[in-house]
Amino acid sequence: MASGSEVEEDFRYCCCIYGTSNTVELFPSSLMILNIASFSTCQAKIAMDSLEVPVGLGLLKCRIPYVRQFIVDEATRHAEMEAIDVLLEQWQRTGISVEQVAEKFSNCILYVTCEPCIMCAAALSILGIKKVYYGCANDKFGGCGSILSLHSSSSEHQFSDKGSQRKGFSCTGGILASEAISLLRSFNEQGNPNAPKPLRQPEHQPRK
Amino acid sequence: MGIVYIPPNPPIPPSQQPTVSVYASVIEPKIANTLVRRLNQIAPLENLRHVKRVRKQCLDGGKMQLTVILCLACENGSLSGSMPKDIVELINSYQLSAFVTKVCKYAALSKEEWEEQCKLWPTSYHPPTYNIEGITGFSEEESQLIFSFMKLAIRLATSTNDQVVNAAVIVDPSSKQIIASACDQIHSWNTTVSKTSLEPGQLEQSAVFTSCLTPVVGAMLNGSAGRSKQLTDVSCLHPWHWPQPQLLASSSFFHPLRHAAMVAIESSAAGDRLLFPSNQDIRNQCSHEDDMQSVYSNSPAKRQKTVPLEVVDSEPVDNCSIIVGPEQVRPYLCTGYDIYLVWEPCAMCAMALVHQRIRRIFYALPNPNAGALGSVHRLQGEKSLNHHYAVFRILLPEEELMFGRREGNVYWYNCCENDK
Repeated sequence: MASGSEVEEDFRYCCCIYGTSNTVELFPSSLMILNIASFSTCQAKIAMDSLEVPVGLGLLKCRIPYVRQFIVDEATRHAEMEAIDVLLEQWQRTGISVEQVAEKFSNCILYVTCEPCIMCAAALSILGIKKVYYGCANDKFGGCGSILSLHSSSSEHQFSDKGSQRKGFSCTGGILASEAISLLRSFNEQGNPNAPKPLRQPEHQPRK
Repeated sequence: MGIVYIPPNPPIPPSQQPTVSVYASVIEPKIANTLVRRLNQIAPLENLRHVKRVRKQCLDGGKMQLTVILCLACENGSLSGSMPKDIVELINSYQLSAFVTKVCKYAALSKEEWEEQCKLWPTSYHPPTYNIEGITGFSEEESQLIFSFMKLAIRLATSTNDQVVNAAVIVDPSSKQIIASACDQIHSWNTTVSKTSLEPGQLEQSAVFTSCLTPVVGAMLNGSAGRSKQLTDVSCLHPWHWPQPQLLASSSFFHPLRHAAMVAIESSAAGDRLLFPSNQDIRNQCSHEDDMQSVYSNSPAKRQKTVPLEVVDSEPVDNCSIIVGPEQVRPYLCTGYDIYLVWEPCAMCAMALVHQRIRRIFYALPNPNAGALGSVHRLQGEKSLNHHYAVFRILLPEEELMFGRREGNVYWYNCCENDK
């Protein structure tokens, strides 16, 4: 297992959140430059498969891809978290209430090249997002079926208080998976200049 | 008080350990060496290194009997059909009579487990020799330090006047310095709720609220979460609760994901950026500013990083980690650092701590709703992750956790008052 490549694997995401209500939000946010062509194809394909996506491919013009390579100290600033932050700020600037924000998230679809990791999947569940489409599976960190299944709401933990209920979301993977993999691979080849050399190994080995 | 290691695998009662079936045979002691050498070649027990190949038993009358494991057996296969050809030859040439027996599948994690295993078939036991300090025990001095950091976290959790929240303290154990500390910031993103802003009616309400808390925490300590409803401001305990109408959220910005651990990570990263500005940072910061301009044009509520540290006023917290010599190396994320959390973190926070390479996690109270370090999930045992931290629960006496004690105008009893 090549440790050197594991570090930046955390970053090789790009995603966009897509609203299905009248106002469509699309904020691709990425640690690499978003491959718009892939996403267009992706959305075109989904648009054909699913009627819930608005007739909105033209809305790609409002994309705002930006690169946040400068964050070298926070391994947690994944594309999903960035996109969520952008949306929360945008919505709250318009002065809407907590309930309205929750309502908006429940109408959002996330498109992401790689299956959200456990952290992002948990975050998406907390926000109550409607649906996630992803490209390739994330067999080391994935939180939507690969390692944990945080998108599935079935749980033995039930609450009398409905507000504390765990929220699931529907999740479809394998959308343009090979394109997503080659996208990530091309980013991978650049390497992570911030990784220490030699990279520290996990400090203990779990039981086999 | 005590510190309990929370292992990567859920504890298995010693008598219910998983087993696998093997073929074994009684052998003559004089052929033991030859046979074992041959067996190690043709049928090595790759995943059963803890299992001893030969069992020595003392029979009635003082005679020694040796039994050797020939090879793994299929769970329901017939005796001869599933055996490798080499083993069959060996059985024939030495006139052995093979039978099926069971051995423990996993190496023992404790002495108790090991003793139980040996009743089935002898195994070897190696006490854990991980490199992380504390797994095999803490010294008195270390324990005291750990308790004092946890008490600080509890103080932070109860320091806001109107609610009990989760709190996180990131510590560099090598220098005993606090790197960052934070509370949940779900309802007060970028804002601080000051005491004076409270209406008298709300104060009344919060006093009622607090008086309920002690039994709640007591109930949680006893393993019952039935009444944890009143701790809904603890974000990791109730991550899905944020859309509910809030008492104080009307005017402030909120962010449902700003759990204490997430804010502490951000704060520690911001501290590093401040202490170790690199050329790359500056350059990228510029390009980022440009991008942000396009995103946040005319944005009055621009997100501000809390630099350098968020520490509650009036707390004599030593912030000298800010002053570092130029010779100091820029840390890689939180490698080598510990984090103290009052409540066991949820999956989001626990995974963020994996990404941030935290070395050890200490928490005081389990999180039966959403805990990801043993309660609902167990991230420290997910082998595919690229980093594994060690997890400990700190057992504190109940009086240390008395969040709701009322003392004159001080609504939140400072649990560390006793130490002064």
